[in-house]
Amino acid sequence: MRKSVNRPPTPDVAENQEKEPTLQELINIELIESGEKERLMELLRERLIECGWKDEMKALCRAFIKKKGRNNVTVDDLVHVMTPKGRASVPDSVKAELLQRIRTFLVSAAL
Amino acid sequence: MSSMAKITHPRQQINGEILPQPCPHLAEFLSNNGSKPFRALQDCLRVKPPGGRASIRRDPKEVPRCGACGESARPRLYACITCAAVHCHVPSGPSHAAAHAFSMPPGHEIAVDVDRAELFCCACRDQVYDRDFDAAVVLAQTAASTLASSATSAVQQYAPENLRKRRRIDYKPWIPNLREQYLVGKNSSPLNGDVSDLPWGLRGLNNLGNTCFMNSVLQALLHTPPLRNYFLSDRHNRYFCQKKSNADNAAKKIAANTIDGGGNKSAARVCLACDMDATFSAVFSGERTPYSPAKFLYSWWQYAANLASYEQQDAHEFFISMLDGIHEKVDKDRRKPESQGNGDCCVAHRVFSGILRSDVMCMACGFTSTTYDPCVDISLDLEPNQGGSAKTGSTKSSHSCNGEADCMNSSQNCGVSTLMGCLDRFTRPERLGSDQKFFCQQCQVRQESLKQMSIRKLPLVSCFHIKRFEHSSVRKMSRKVDRYLQFPFSLDMAPYLSSSILRSRFGNRILPFDGDEHLCSDFELFAVVTHTGKLDAGHYVTYLRLSNQWYKCDDAWITLVNENIVRAAQGYMMFYVQKMLFYKASEKPGPA
Repeated sequence: MRKSVNRPPTPDVAENQEKEPTLQELINIELIESGEKERLMELLRERLIECGWKDEMKALCRAFIKKKGRNNVTVDDLVHVMTPKGRASVPDSVKAELLQRIRTFLVSAAL
Repeated sequence: MSSMAKITHPRQQINGEILPQPCPHLAEFLSNNGSKPFRALQDCLRVKPPGGRASIRRDPKEVPRCGACGESARPRLYACITCAAVHCHVPSGPSHAAAHAFSMPPGHEIAVDVDRAELFCCACRDQVYDRDFDAAVVLAQTAASTLASSATSAVQQYAPENLRKRRRIDYKPWIPNLREQYLVGKNSSPLNGDVSDLPWGLRGLNNLGNTCFMNSVLQALLHTPPLRNYFLSDRHNRYFCQKKSNADNAAKKIAANTIDGGGNKSAARVCLACDMDATFSAVFSGERTPYSPAKFLYSWWQYAANLASYEQQDAHEFFISMLDGIHEKVDKDRRKPESQGNGDCCVAHRVFSGILRSDVMCMACGFTSTTYDPCVDISLDLEPNQGGSAKTGSTKSSHSCNGEADCMNSSQNCGVSTLMGCLDRFTRPERLGSDQKFFCQQCQVRQESLKQMSIRKLPLVSCFHIKRFEHSSVRKMSRKVDRYLQFPFSLDMAPYLSSSILRSRFGNRILPFDGDEHLCSDFELFAVVTHTGKLDAGHYVTYLRLSNQWYKCDDAWITLVNENIVRAAQGYMMFYVQKMLFYKASEKPGPA
């Protein structure tokens, strides 16, 4: 979001592509192209299911939908309500494991 | 609910589930374009091997980024179906996808999530569904996960004609007409049962020397509605059974109290179904004094010679063994190969047999091999967090010391362990360890793989066996797990069906999947076999629900109990019957 605020009012597409990508973008592209991102996402999915996070979120979603009424809820509403709760309740061990995996990847990719 | 829906909107239905109506934008889009744009999208569908999720990429290596802000790391990127422009979307924030929809002429509202291949309406800011689109995605996923030659049945039919309504078979009590009354009166002698208002067939069984394992299972079986109706309607008559003439000799020997030396020879003559019939007759005779199922026990001993002793036995083992016994007998009469899963071979399997589906997916290429196995019960692990194999696997190694800690963790997560929790675990994808690699037909080598169980066909009566007796190969000893397990009186099996499991694998799609022909997935508890005591010495007691009252059957003693006592009991085997059958023990008005 910050990026979209900082970008020049009329971005020149050609110029934009020539511009040096940021480190974050480089890492992201490397993660995607190597397939590591997909593996990380799969691992995260698995961990979140194992630790019960997914069930917990599901229960919260159900409760929210029940409260608002089945026809008055959009995916956006759900995402909006759930995102802060979901982020806050990811166990630290899962975060640590993913961070470790990303670090290892960065070392091996020698970026 | 469905009648309400009929009045308000004519909605689509699949298997009785009401589908969401398409939003006006999607409806307009479809009427203007048909499903042609979806077909064009099919070339962009990519299915990534492990997990087999579908995504949208024009080119496999493409890194999609938002056309407005150039961001590629956003979790939600949508490609416009009409012009293929990719934009990001943040709920309640600045949405470039929504901005795109509004800045363009009408017709750019519908977009597809590039990482999930699901449709989204940027104007409504909500997920939308379309059968044709979903069918295309599922087809692509199926093609990716099966060999070209065997690309058959992960999705069998997704034709729109496959819409099915949930049917319900209503129970109509039979009232004999005059002629039938005459026939019945002429050919039978009425039972002079007592006039107590106790449910029919409630009779204690004497313990014949450590035979509570048998009594507990027999009580459950005697009150298994489909089994009870089968025997009480004279479908297997012991006087006309083809084996009877042979079995007569054996019966006389029991009377003379001699033990047949040639166990195997006589085992061939035993008909457990006949003994079951005799037991049913005795128990439903109206007599209330405890009955001694000695003949039954003797026949079973002959059938399962290795278990013939006065020692304590495992109730579950007995259950399996006696179902086999009933099956084997009929099997010889009219042998139908491979018919166990269909349950048309014998009454035991007609009542208890279901089909389990097991999918093993190669983690390297995504090839999935599917097998179907008939089962008469489902054995569930009690351990909530038990490392790798939380399933039927008998290799339990590393749990012993941290088992308690794990239990604590899980109880923090979900309160108390429940039967539904066990079933969730049973149907959860399980990564097979590196020591049990699976041979992938596509890669032609052993690969790491993901295994997932689901229920393809529900039996009429579901028996859940909780593995309370476990063996630790490390400590070389067995022990009993006394942990409490909560079980519901009413159970919906829908989440554990193959159709639901597949549905979640394919993302949010509105297609009927494998085995969607289930008419009813609602089950009702009617018997619980409980175990108290230790591994080598303990006692089995059965709780039965008859006419919405719970009865505790402790060998010869039967007592009326409060349902809270049943809820608190340590369940070892739970028997659930499909509600479709309308044997609703719970709906009859019970005596206060």
